[in-house]
Amino acid sequence: MGMTITEKIMARNSGRDSLAPGELVWTDINSVMTMDYLGKTCFDKFKSLGKKEVFDKNKVICVSDHLVPPPNQKFATMLNEWREVVKEHDITNFYDLGRQGIAHQIMVEQGHVLPGTISIGTDSHANTYGAVGAVGNAIGVTDAAVAMATGKAWFRIPQSVKFNITGKWQPWVMAKDLSLHIMGMMHWNGHLLYKALEFTGPAIESLSMAGRMTLCNMTVDLGAKNGIVAPDKITERYLRNRTSDAWEMITSDEDAEYDQVYNIDVSDLGPTIAMPGKLDDTQPIEKLIGQKFNKAFVGTCTNGRLEDFAAMAEIMKGKQVHRDVNMILVPASQTVYLEALRAGYIETLVEAGAAVDTPSCAACAGIHTGVAGDGDIVLSAGNRNMTGRMGSKKAEIYLTSPSVVAASAIRGEITDPRTFDI
Amino acid sequence: MMRGTCWVSDDYVMAYDIIIQEYWTSAIDPKDNSKWVMAGVKEEFNKENAFKDNGYTFIVAAHNFAGGGKSIEHVITGLMGAGIQAVFATSFARLQFRNAINYGLPFVTCDDIDKGCETGDELEYNPDTGIIKNITKGTEFQSVPAAPFVAEVGEAGGLMNYVRDKIAKGETIE
Repeated sequence: MGMTITEKIMARNSGRDSLAPGELVWTDINSVMTMDYLGKTCFDKFKSLGKKEVFDKNKVICVSDHLVPPPNQKFATMLNEWREVVKEHDITNFYDLGRQGIAHQIMVEQGHVLPGTISIGTDSHANTYGAVGAVGNAIGVTDAAVAMATGKAWFRIPQSVKFNITGKWQPWVMAKDLSLHIMGMMHWNGHLLYKALEFTGPAIESLSMAGRMTLCNMTVDLGAKNGIVAPDKITERYLRNRTSDAWEMITSDEDAEYDQVYNIDVSDLGPTIAMPGKLDDTQPIEKLIGQKFNKAFVGTCTNGRLEDFAAMAEIMKGKQVHRDVNMILVPASQTVYLEALRAGYIETLVEAGAAVDTPSCAACAGIHTGVAGDGDIVLSAGNRNMTGRMGSKKAEIYLTSPSVVAASAIRGEITDPRTFDI
Repeated sequence: MMRGTCWVSDDYVMAYDIIIQEYWTSAIDPKDNSKWVMAGVKEEFNKENAFKDNGYTFIVAAHNFAGGGKSIEHVITGLMGAGIQAVFATSFARLQFRNAINYGLPFVTCDDIDKGCETGDELEYNPDTGIIKNITKGTEFQSVPAAPFVAEVGEAGGLMNYVRDKIAKGETIE
């Protein structure tokens, strides 16, 4: 019997020829990522295991993203302790303030995730790594400490679910819309609990790496174990200048078995919005046209990439953000920031009246800059909208794509970018 | 054998509400994390030690206990610090299910358990057989027994102890 891409990767990295869903294995880990607010605990736990050196100094990736630049003394002190512990362990790849980015963006963009391998991170959106044909998995600090010491992690082999995506993407419709559409279709953390989600089909083959990252990123919010897109020419082109390590193109066997298979035609998919409070309560944009809001936010590990800035710049060029709206944009990394500057996107967006903040998780987790206050209605291209997520419990968050946020920010109300005068 | 009273939660108790945002950046410490555990789940628990002071031994839940996609271990240490010895639910969210295994806190999958229990009922759980008895109501439920690896990690007192022991003995992990 054939195996799915996830099963094959799990088998290959645990020294097995084959394995089946439900089996429990210890696998080799390619990279372990941890970041500022949990990192010190990882290293403390690692030390308590009786090891002095991490399994590979090049493969423990440390990133400052949730707390930078520190908005208060507590975070500044935590960052100092974090820097000290990273230095103590002589970690090669430390992306601190100045070279920072959101950890998941850094992991993929800097070539720390390779097709056919398994990488883990102490933040739930580590599923993003599936975009390059890897297994990316979110774990806690205990698993990170164990992997730092041994280069291994335990996994139960998940059942796979295939999403076959066909059709032609409509203008301004993005991978985010597909993510939200699937969220509404499957219901949040329902049928997809523990599953490996495989995205395939012509509409995925034509999808950029940025889009694939968005799609895999939000699989954690579906309750899935991982999301994955098989590596292809786009993957190869993307990784060519990012890593000198060798990697293999692993894909699913023709006769692989899936727990479920879903077919979605994106030709029918329009901009999609998740209603405040629940990710799986999604609506087509037509139902929300004219909904007012006062804060617009685009950034995060879900939608803070160059392609997202390009879409916004194209929509907002020569226009002005509505006077009743504050718009905050946060590139996902310093690299994205620089590329967006060079391409002129940042200039266009600042001229339009958007505020651009330095790369970080920003207000997405509600603990950093740009948080929501009482009464705020936020139109966000982030990944979560539960009550209190971005700060105040008395704020509401609508989730959508960057192109919808851009068109809507100009009008001051939810606007369909497909009909917006550009 | 474990025995004690249970608290029955609503559906979809989120990790976010078990440990609220302002404590995500605090140290992972059972005593500390348990002070405000469940603060976001019910207003009555939004006081220092409010959940813990009830002295529950078990939590009974329906679908997707500890969901919402947060990987922080404060959720597990908070429950353990509050004296919780096992959680019974129809289903668990993946990230916290994994963390619970790593800490040796039984997260036990059991169909329909939520419909057969009320807050304050006295329960008895036998980890070897997977049988959960509701002493108060005189009923019994068969849960899914723990996988051998999970039981082994539980016996070691969590993954840290399990791995530390292997490293000390020079054994490989496989």
